Amino acid sequence: MSRATISGEPDAFLIDLTKCTGCRGCMVACKQWNQLPAEETDFFSGEGYQNPKEMSENTYTVIKFREFEKNGHSIFSFYKEMCMHCDDPACVSVCPVNAFHKTPEGPVIYDAKVCIGCRFCMIGCPFDVPKYEWSKKLPLVRKCDGCYSRIKADLKPACVTACPSAMEYGPRSQMVQIAEERLKRHPDHYINTIYGKDEAGGTSVLYLSSEPYEELRFPSVPERPLPSYTWPALRLVPGIFATVVTGLTALTLFNHRKERLERERNKEKEAEQQRTVQAEEDKS
Amino acid sequence: MTNHWIDIQHSDVIMCIGSNPAENHPVSFKYIDKAKDNGGKLISVDPRFTRTSAKADMYAQLRPGTDIAFLGGMINYVLNNDLIHKEYVVNYTNAAFLISDDFEFNEGLFSGFDKGSSSYSKESWAYQKDENGMILRDDNLKDPRCVYQLMKKHYSRYTPEKVCDITGTDLNNYLQLVKTFCSTGRPDKSATIMYAMGTTQHTVGTQNVRSYAMLQLLLGNVGIAGGGINALRGESNVQGSTDYAILYHILPGYLKVPTHTNTDLQAYLKKWTPTTDDPQSANWWGNTPKYMVSLLKAYWGEAATAENDFCYDYLPKRSGNYSYIKLMERLQLGGFEGLINMGTNPIVGGPDVQQIAKGLDKLKWMVSVDLWETETSVFWRRPGADPKTIDTEVFLLPAASSIEKEGSISNSGRWAQWRYQAIKPVGDAKSDAAMLDMWVKELKKLYAEDGVFPGPITDLAWDYGHEEEPDIDKVARECNGFFTRDTEVKGKRFKKGEQVPSFAYLKDDGSTVSGNWLYCGSYTEKGNMMKRRGLEDPGGMGAYHNWSWCWPVNRRILYNRASVDLDGKSFNQQKPVISWNRATRKWEGDVPDGGWPPMNEPGTKSPFIMIPEGYGRLFAAGLADGPFPEHYEPVESPVDNCMTAQQCNPAAMIPADFFSDSDKYPYVGSTYRVTEHWQAGAMTRNLPWLVELVPDMFVEIGTTLAKAKGLKNGDMATITSARGAIEARVLVTPRIKPLVVSGKTVEQVGMIWHFGFNGLAKGSSANVLTAAVGDANTGIPESKAFLCDIRKGGMKS
Ligand code: SF4
Ligand code: SF4
Repeated sequence: MSRATISGEPDAFLIDLTKCTGCRGCMVACKQWNQLPAEETDFFSGEGYQNPKEMSENTYTVIKFREFEKNGHSIFSFYKEMCMHCDDPACVSVCPVNAFHKTPEGPVIYDAKVCIGCRFCMIGCPFDVPKYEWSKKLPLVRKCDGCYSRIKADLKPACVTACPSAMEYGPRSQMVQIAEERLKRHPDHYINTIYGKDEAGGTSVLYLSSEPYEELRFPSVPERPLPSYTWPALRLVPGIFATVVTGLTALTLFNHRKERLERERNKEKEAEQQRTVQAEEDKS
Repeated sequence: MTNHWIDIQHSDVIMCIGSNPAENHPVSFKYIDKAKDNGGKLISVDPRFTRTSAKADMYAQLRPGTDIAFLGGMINYVLNNDLIHKEYVVNYTNAAFLISDDFEFNEGLFSGFDKGSSSYSKESWAYQKDENGMILRDDNLKDPRCVYQLMKKHYSRYTPEKVCDITGTDLNNYLQLVKTFCSTGRPDKSATIMYAMGTTQHTVGTQNVRSYAMLQLLLGNVGIAGGGINALRGESNVQGSTDYAILYHILPGYLKVPTHTNTDLQAYLKKWTPTTDDPQSANWWGNTPKYMVSLLKAYWGEAATAENDFCYDYLPKRSGNYSYIKLMERLQLGGFEGLINMGTNPIVGGPDVQQIAKGLDKLKWMVSVDLWETETSVFWRRPGADPKTIDTEVFLLPAASSIEKEGSISNSGRWAQWRYQAIKPVGDAKSDAAMLDMWVKELKKLYAEDGVFPGPITDLAWDYGHEEEPDIDKVARECNGFFTRDTEVKGKRFKKGEQVPSFAYLKDDGSTVSGNWLYCGSYTEKGNMMKRRGLEDPGGMGAYHNWSWCWPVNRRILYNRASVDLDGKSFNQQKPVISWNRATRKWEGDVPDGGWPPMNEPGTKSPFIMIPEGYGRLFAAGLADGPFPEHYEPVESPVDNCMTAQQCNPAAMIPADFFSDSDKYPYVGSTYRVTEHWQAGAMTRNLPWLVELVPDMFVEIGTTLAKAKGLKNGDMATITSARGAIEARVLVTPRIKPLVVSGKTVEQVGMIWHFGFNGLAKGSSANVLTAAVGDANTGIPESKAFLCDIRKGGMKS
């Protein structure tokens, strides 16, 4: 039984950045669960110890480091970036082949089998989340799927399970409530905003922070659901759609894709075995 | 730890000094966070602004190696402002005890110093006693010879200004922090100190810890919930390996290794069994004979009899100091034929590693047991070495990882938790226990054939089954101990072969076996207590007595009889650890430090039961370098000691030919770990997911030093010390600031010590730069404070 059917509403992540130590256990857990290859990095690719530079086809979540001085004090901050799993997601609305959908449990998931690689989702997402497999011959789009397979197995997402201190996961209203209680109990400790509560029409990832969100380089997005902007806009540019489709011979595209998906499925089977072992462990 | 991880949530003030839990003990942060949610304050004291500092309510910078000055100032503040927990200090510590008139402190030296041997004779560091051997005391703490007054005088020199002049801490920051921490002398408040290698890896490492203990005793913070001094162990089973005698001078359960002068069992027991004339002192180490004989019985079983001193003669006796630095010195002199490294990588982790590596060249054979090909296991391939000139025969044995074997693991909070095998070892890998079992069986065979002195080996009681993997359950049973014959102890009858229920039932007549008295109680007739996973927490204090098992006797907070007043009532009613129930005449809560009634009742015992006099030691005569911690500069320091003319710890372990040059190497260097890598790096530098996060050896410097040296973020730089040179990528950060010390600006150079020349991610080892100088008591190397220089460009440039 999935979690949503119990609580009757989508689940959400609550990421309290005042409690995040930048340990990056979440990043490693994500790579492990999703069996994503490591990226080749050189020294550090941002402030502090940041690596990799940003989310990519092989990195679904990144801790963004910031270090600077403020009022004579050092600030060393950590911001976990991942898919926001919007309540009314732009990617879902712009995808011409319905590869994306918002699940009742909360995660916004993606079906590689139908994706045609048009990259509308990348243009549409205000958080710059979906990534294209530029390194591959027949690329697909990749992003955090909220560990949907774990959710279906009644487990929490891998990153939440690994996190020692900063993340909670549960029904969204409950997460909002916890966040509001913290703001009330320690008003001097927090910026008085729950990021994600209203941003982009509300998301399934909520943040609390002691530093202004702009200083941590959170994207500034409007509160209206994004589809209300993106879809009308993109629809007006039929050129994009036409180019994407005619630029590739539909037949070869589908044949190659079939082979690729077959290979992926075999890999997926192996990964699945690994997961079953871990899932058993996590449960026990 | 005196307390345990979960208990940290009860602290009103948490001071992380010499530790960086956010990075090196991330899971502990869960409990720090809970404390903070409850209004607790987190203080981070560190030369660098770390990920822990980032989460702290207060941050104070201190120069590496100046903890005693920092703490001395806090002690001075507590005494000057009368912030001590008076009832606690008078009744539970030795503050009131009178000290010999011969004891004195002059110009940086305590009485009894002998220049020739660089050591103290401690006769004058003694209590005054009456004709019955009872210690003289002044409960008003007024007598000029009482510990309290001597301490007050000693630390009156540590004024805030003087302290900050030494440590480089901002005076206002310091005062604010001191005020916060020292407010916890109130009975209803608690503070804890979390420390790690930043505290211990100094030539004054032991005294650093002592200074924490003194402050906590003065504030009445030892034994209580949310209090204590808590050593964050740097490896998941370091606590267990220390309990089981990984150090050269102790046997399992912290029994002393015999020295060559302890010629027979009686001489040994006489020397190492402390005595007391005070009937109120439990003097727990008075039980040493029971524990020692039970250990000898575990070693040599049936062969060990009362007639042959329980095979005491078989035990090797030590005739010197075999601490790490000393062993490595001997290695370099060609003093060893062979070396076995089990899960250790000395040419990355040791001090002055180039010299250690040269020492390996002199070995005839070497064995490395590890998960990976460590630098040590391929030492002949190191940069600059010529394999043709090295004759050492090397064996690399693949070890099973922690998830591939079963057994117990003891965490920092002294909990021994049973761990199960998740998967079979990969390939030919074997558990350490399996390898040791094979070695011993083979040795037994060889010694039986033509051993020169075969007894110690052939008589070894070694019976852990005939499978390739020894029966680890049998090992655990033996560690706890069992009865060797039908017997009666304390009015209870036991059958031969029955497990000993607790160390209170161990005997010195050969009727009991116990491989480690401290673990007696971990595996009783009720089963393997370390396997328990009970979630009950009746007091709501997070003690979880049915979860695993904790030494000693499942006591979760040590010295807990100091958490109550003389009537046995908890000082803090909100957070009681134990309390005396008058009706049932029993203690409730945690397992008390002995079941005797409270201090106001007849038949009581003083609360610090492991100390012969029974009281917490503000004045500690047992140490090699003085009864009070005193500030000395690190062996390598950019400044003169402005406290006294005595520059460094006079009793520190410093080789005769040691040299250093503060003009050539003007910067203070320090080493540390980051979350993403582990110790000497073999386990993490070979994992792509971790290499991705921290791919290079790097050095952290502040913006002013970077500017002066023309260094930009990401540049390659060469760092040198009197020992050698390394190269590293430069991280220029505002989180490292220069310090103003004695009016002089001192720049800092910080580096991780995880890297080496082998593996997926390679880089220079920071320990090329560190010095092989050691603490006066433990010999731990001073890796956390040394002098270095830095210049732009790699080593070849
Ligand atoms: S929810 Fe799963 S996929 Fe998304 S960031 Fe966390 S671990 Fe990665
Ligand atoms: S695991 Fe948690 S504490 Fe660690 S970096 Fe990720 S969000 Fe922060």
